[in-house]
Amino acid sequence: MTPVLEVEGLVVEMRRHRVAFRAVDDVSFALEPGSALAIVGESGCGKSLTLRAIMGLLPNRGRLISGRVIVDGVTLPSDARGRGRGHRQHRRMSIVFQDALSALNPVATIGSQVAEAPRHVLGLGGAASRARAVELLRLVGIPDPERRYHAYPHELSGGTRQRVMIAIALSSDPSILLCDEPTTALDVTIQTQILALLADLRVERGLALVFVTHDLGVVSQVAERVAVMYTGRLVETGPTAAVLSAPRHPYTSGLLAAALDVDSPEREPVPIPGSLPDPLGLTSGCSFQSRCQFATPECVTTDVRLERVGPDHEAACLHSDVLAAAQAAGRRG
Amino acid sequence: MAEALIEVDDLSVTFRSEHGRTLRAVDDVTLRIAEGEVLGLVGESGCGKTTIAKCIAGRVAPSSGVVRFDGRELGLKRATEDRRAIQMVFQDPYSSLNPRMTVRHVLSELLRVHRLVPRADIETRCRELMSLVGLPRGALDGLPSQFSGGQRQRIAIARALTVEPRVIIADEPVSALDVSVQATILRLFEDLRSRLGLTVVFISHNLAVVRHLSDRVAVMYLGRIVEQGDRESVFSDPRHPYTRALLASAPRLHQIELVRPTVEGEPPSPIDIPTGCSFHPRCPRSEEMCTRDRPSLEPVGTRAEHFAACHFRDEKSPEAPEAP
Repeated sequence: MTPVLEVEGLVVEMRRHRVAFRAVDDVSFALEPGSALAIVGESGCGKSLTLRAIMGLLPNRGRLISGRVIVDGVTLPSDARGRGRGHRQHRRMSIVFQDALSALNPVATIGSQVAEAPRHVLGLGGAASRARAVELLRLVGIPDPERRYHAYPHELSGGTRQRVMIAIALSSDPSILLCDEPTTALDVTIQTQILALLADLRVERGLALVFVTHDLGVVSQVAERVAVMYTGRLVETGPTAAVLSAPRHPYTSGLLAAALDVDSPEREPVPIPGSLPDPLGLTSGCSFQSRCQFATPECVTTDVRLERVGPDHEAACLHSDVLAAAQAAGRRG
Repeated sequence: MAEALIEVDDLSVTFRSEHGRTLRAVDDVTLRIAEGEVLGLVGESGCGKTTIAKCIAGRVAPSSGVVRFDGRELGLKRATEDRRAIQMVFQDPYSSLNPRMTVRHVLSELLRVHRLVPRADIETRCRELMSLVGLPRGALDGLPSQFSGGQRQRIAIARALTVEPRVIIADEPVSALDVSVQATILRLFEDLRSRLGLTVVFISHNLAVVRHLSDRVAVMYLGRIVEQGDRESVFSDPRHPYTRALLASAPRLHQIELVRPTVEGEPPSPIDIPTGCSFHPRCPRSEEMCTRDRPSLEPVGTRAEHFAACHFRDEKSPEAPEAP
């Protein structure tokens, strides 16, 4: 199948105190229609910036250095901020942010915000776009949408606001939905509802999903593929089940060992030693080597790239076989 | 249970909201916390867990009910030693530390004001505190902005420990931290508890964290405790439908299937608490009586240490293993 979204060699530079550093470093992936990819990583790893670069919404301090975003086989034109100048293919993508309250317009009713794209992008008339907005609000599970149409964002709960965000994202009839931690600010019972909604939308509308999160527990529920990001680089990609059960990059296995599991309270979480390296001091070698128990002198000098380690499974580690052997030994012992 | 160090009796806290209406943040809560134990207080945003913590720490006045510490009733005005005895650690280590004060300044000021050690020993004590929370002594010269989130949380904990408290109330202390450092802070709490015999009230929405750290757990919904008990009873055989829903929706590492929501809707506003059991509008088990009669916290079966506020508390969890 041809991918609906291809990202090739995305490089984003951010400036901090007038010094530029690579916040997204050579990120590539492809997404098939209706499939879902989760990008997981800790704060500052560049996962949200990757989404923004794809969407053409880089902040002022960011600059798109190189890379291509291809939607349905068409390369999107973009300037240094990644903005696509309203290209037709650009409308195939929508984005949902973590903080719906600040993403929504506080002085416009939610209905008018949902109706905006049907009216101005799809060219529907006033009544038709309103009807479409009500239909979208109903689709995302907002009860009594005719009445709620006239509500303002501050009158709604966090979960409902996130549903409105999703309705707005769907209003231009996209085939790709980019989600930037859409459930992080929500309570768990509401998170479950939103994840179920996204899963249903995928099936019903054939939406492809890129889901950025820091929560490994959410990854397995939303996406069949996962990409693990560290200091701007993808360090491991593969089928979610394979990556979570047999990680082949030490950072992935470190994250898994550090996470608590509600079902196994006796397992001691093992923190990853050290802390994130300063992005200004990164060299060509592996950026995780200073915290890695498998690191050798080679790791400092070699430009480590994603290599195939299994079916559809890649890791950027010189010692991924050592890690696999250690895991096998751990399971036996 | 051992002698309670902290006793909270019939505590209610109401706030005036807009249009003169009343918001019931904490509704008739009774709680016992034994010396040296870790009590996990779980619930979703707005359920009142932080308000209870603030009442215990003397930062919010109860509308009714009492907080007793060591048998003595504590109000808002407290003797210095009582204030020192109960310390709080907050969620956000970025905003809870003064950005202009070095760590040494923060700690030594407390030591000086409270006359905890002779002047000459202040520096030594500061270094001891640093090593207690696992920071190098060089960290004393740093400003908060020079530290990572995890390190800042250690500094906040050191600050709380400076006045030699008996109780630490930690309000979501790891929620703002990345997974890879969460574990280090949890270890620190375990370590402090065993070394200093601290009593800890650990507030979190994260069930995995609470299950890992707590001896006893209290689950809150809309200002009330709906289930309470020793950790394993509550987690392996929850008897309140809300606890079950929370557990079912907790993110799991090896959950490959999508979890379908077991409760619908959202928590109602604490200004407008439903009649009867406040969970009934969302509850999959609710019956007509639940809309009328508010269940109180009653023992589950014959268990001495497990309470649930549900009319159907004696029904086993569908997925729970056979009781031993």
